[in-house]
Amino acid sequence: MADALTQLGFASWLSVLIASIIKVTLILVGGSVGMMFLTWYERRSISYMQDRRGPNRVGPQGLLQPISEAIKTMTKEDATPRDADKIVHFLAPVVMLGATVLSFAVIPWGRMFPVDLNAAVLFVIATGGLHSIGMMMAGWGSNNKFALLGGMRGVAQLISYEIPQVMAIIPVVLMTGSMSLQKIVEAQNDFAGLGWYVFSPVGLLGFALFFTASLAEGERTPFDIPEADSEIIAGYMTEYSGMKFAVFYLSNYMSNLAVCFITATLYLGGGNGPGVDALGGIAGGLLSLIYFLLKSFALFFVMVLIRATVPRLRVDQLMSFAWKFLLPLVLVNILSASFWVALLRWDQQWPKLTEWFGAPSTADATNWGRLAIAIVLTLLINAGAVALIMRLTNRNVQKHLYTTDEELALGLS
Amino acid sequence: MLKTEELQINIGPQHPSTHGVFRMLVTVDGETLVDLKPVFGYLHRNHEQLGEVNTYLQNMPFTDRLDYFNSMVNNHAYARTIETLAGVEVPERAQYIRVIMDELSRILNHATAMGFMLGDMGAWQTALLWGMREREKILDMFEYVSGARMMCNYCRFGGVVRDIDDWFITELKKLMQGLPHYFDDFEGLLLNSEILLARARNIGVLPKELALAYSVTGPVLRGSGVAYDIRKAEPYAVYDRFKFKVPVGTVGDVYDRFLVRIAEMRESYKILEQALEQLPDATGGFINPKVKQQSLKAPAGEAYARVESPKGELGFYVVSDGSGSAYRYKVRAPSFINLSALADMCKGYTIADVVVILGSIDIVMGEVDR
Repeated sequence: MADALTQLGFASWLSVLIASIIKVTLILVGGSVGMMFLTWYERRSISYMQDRRGPNRVGPQGLLQPISEAIKTMTKEDATPRDADKIVHFLAPVVMLGATVLSFAVIPWGRMFPVDLNAAVLFVIATGGLHSIGMMMAGWGSNNKFALLGGMRGVAQLISYEIPQVMAIIPVVLMTGSMSLQKIVEAQNDFAGLGWYVFSPVGLLGFALFFTASLAEGERTPFDIPEADSEIIAGYMTEYSGMKFAVFYLSNYMSNLAVCFITATLYLGGGNGPGVDALGGIAGGLLSLIYFLLKSFALFFVMVLIRATVPRLRVDQLMSFAWKFLLPLVLVNILSASFWVALLRWDQQWPKLTEWFGAPSTADATNWGRLAIAIVLTLLINAGAVALIMRLTNRNVQKHLYTTDEELALGLS
Repeated sequence: MLKTEELQINIGPQHPSTHGVFRMLVTVDGETLVDLKPVFGYLHRNHEQLGEVNTYLQNMPFTDRLDYFNSMVNNHAYARTIETLAGVEVPERAQYIRVIMDELSRILNHATAMGFMLGDMGAWQTALLWGMREREKILDMFEYVSGARMMCNYCRFGGVVRDIDDWFITELKKLMQGLPHYFDDFEGLLLNSEILLARARNIGVLPKELALAYSVTGPVLRGSGVAYDIRKAEPYAVYDRFKFKVPVGTVGDVYDRFLVRIAEMRESYKILEQALEQLPDATGGFINPKVKQQSLKAPAGEAYARVESPKGELGFYVVSDGSGSAYRYKVRAPSFINLSALADMCKGYTIADVVVILGSIDIVMGEVDR
């Protein structure tokens, strides 16, 4: 964008500045407006699952409901507890929102990239980890026991789930050979735009693991433990009201949106899809944006569906799920990813492989024999690992209930 | 030396999941519960004293406000007590109508109670709103017969205040066509969910002996493995004419109470079917016309009558001195007595479990505090 502005006759420093301002504005506006739409989308979908209508009065189909609610929260009294640490209490929502907005910097909107970092994956993970600081500040600064419990829970949860989440990305990085989100999207463009990682055994398991860990990261049901409203009221947000509460809310939904975007980018091919390359140019870019948003909102719908159905886990169950279920599977997935990569590409150390199955795949031609072997091998490893772990954690289902129609006086027999 | 410090937390009286103004003074070590002290009385409104001032009929609407989910059952229990005291005959048809209302109350109570419990567990209200949908239909029926949705004030001494007509019967049959689907949906939603099993299995275990020692009744007691149901043990109204089973749990945990309630809804449905079938053959009117409702005087003496309310044994104890109002009036409220076992059920579990255990007891504060 900066180049285009220079060609229009702006000084180079000015064009960089203008381009940056435009990008920042787009990110901030896109994130916030996306979040507003997201709340409406979630409330409407949950309503239909629960046999009711949901917000449908403000604007067409209730689409302006989030705006009316934004105005409501902004005009509310902003209360700070008397004994709270005023500075920390004030800064906590800012830190949370800042961390979330940062991660939007590297998210590719279809094929349009605000910033292409060569270590974008690391950047996303790092900004995701910043959340725990905001949570702890809110929990500690509020001087409220419920807030403290919520903050502690949040930090413990985020730290545990960072590990499987980060390690679930490693297979993608191995298969692409790069940490740049742009490269990762490009690498999934085979087979007429349908060579998404989710269609390979490694990618499928990685997708499931990453998305599950991300649910915990974004505090979605069944992992919404830090703000479990039926137990600790609102967790670390208990003492917040008005605009500060709205900022927490905004940050939560934006991070959920970011999680969907990142998952769609890493495993569902980002903006790739049939017809994007054929169109090319601006039209192709728009089509890729549509594909990208469709995939992301489909992912968010899965989140909504989970939220409307299942109860939440307990803290200790959450931890054992992370360490005993997700982590072993993630490690196995890394193993099969390395087999995948070794079989498909790198075989200089073992010339026999080339002798038997022909040359490794290149960007232009796929070696089908090698691909078939890789799929079978990784499928066996992953399916075996999942079956084994399911079996190890499976509890015996005992029959609980019996009925009687005898007339018992007190049943003390 | 590293050590942990115990933290005292007030859960309630204003808290999203205390089911009213109930307060639990909780001592926790991290997330684990060390001690729990239930505090109640915030909703005390002098019910029993009022019962000694009012005439017998005046007190009937007050019983609606005890367990405001099941005002029909409360009316039934109170009417039975006064009928026992004054020796009033109740016609057969009135008995059938009372049974129909009781079983409808049981279905609506269990549907919402289990919805609330799942809501406490963190399921975002889907189960609750499905239950509320069925409850709404049943409340419409109540409104049609009594004029009020929740505060029905339906029973009178010797019968009920208004007869049910053909419209009611056809609508009830329509409503009942939908109920089995609701039971199946509700079971299919979460019954075998891995998360529900993890949250409900072996949580809040109430052993049989302890349950009996606390004189816990209702689904909580049956969940603990005691097949005690007043409808079987001391058949009142016309309950001895129906075929139904008493579901009983084995472990006494939250999951058992959950299963027992679902099974009870199905049994109530069976009772409703049989009652509707037998209703046309029932003799007598909807009320005993000889009873003077306004100026009813009971001979000196005492009476205790109980019914199986959806929450447990609901009994009224009335002492009469021969005048038109009770000399002594006492309510045996199932919620209150079941709640006394809470501290023992919760010790050793985590905070997250406490709200679920409280939800599985199914209390209504209107009945606890009176």
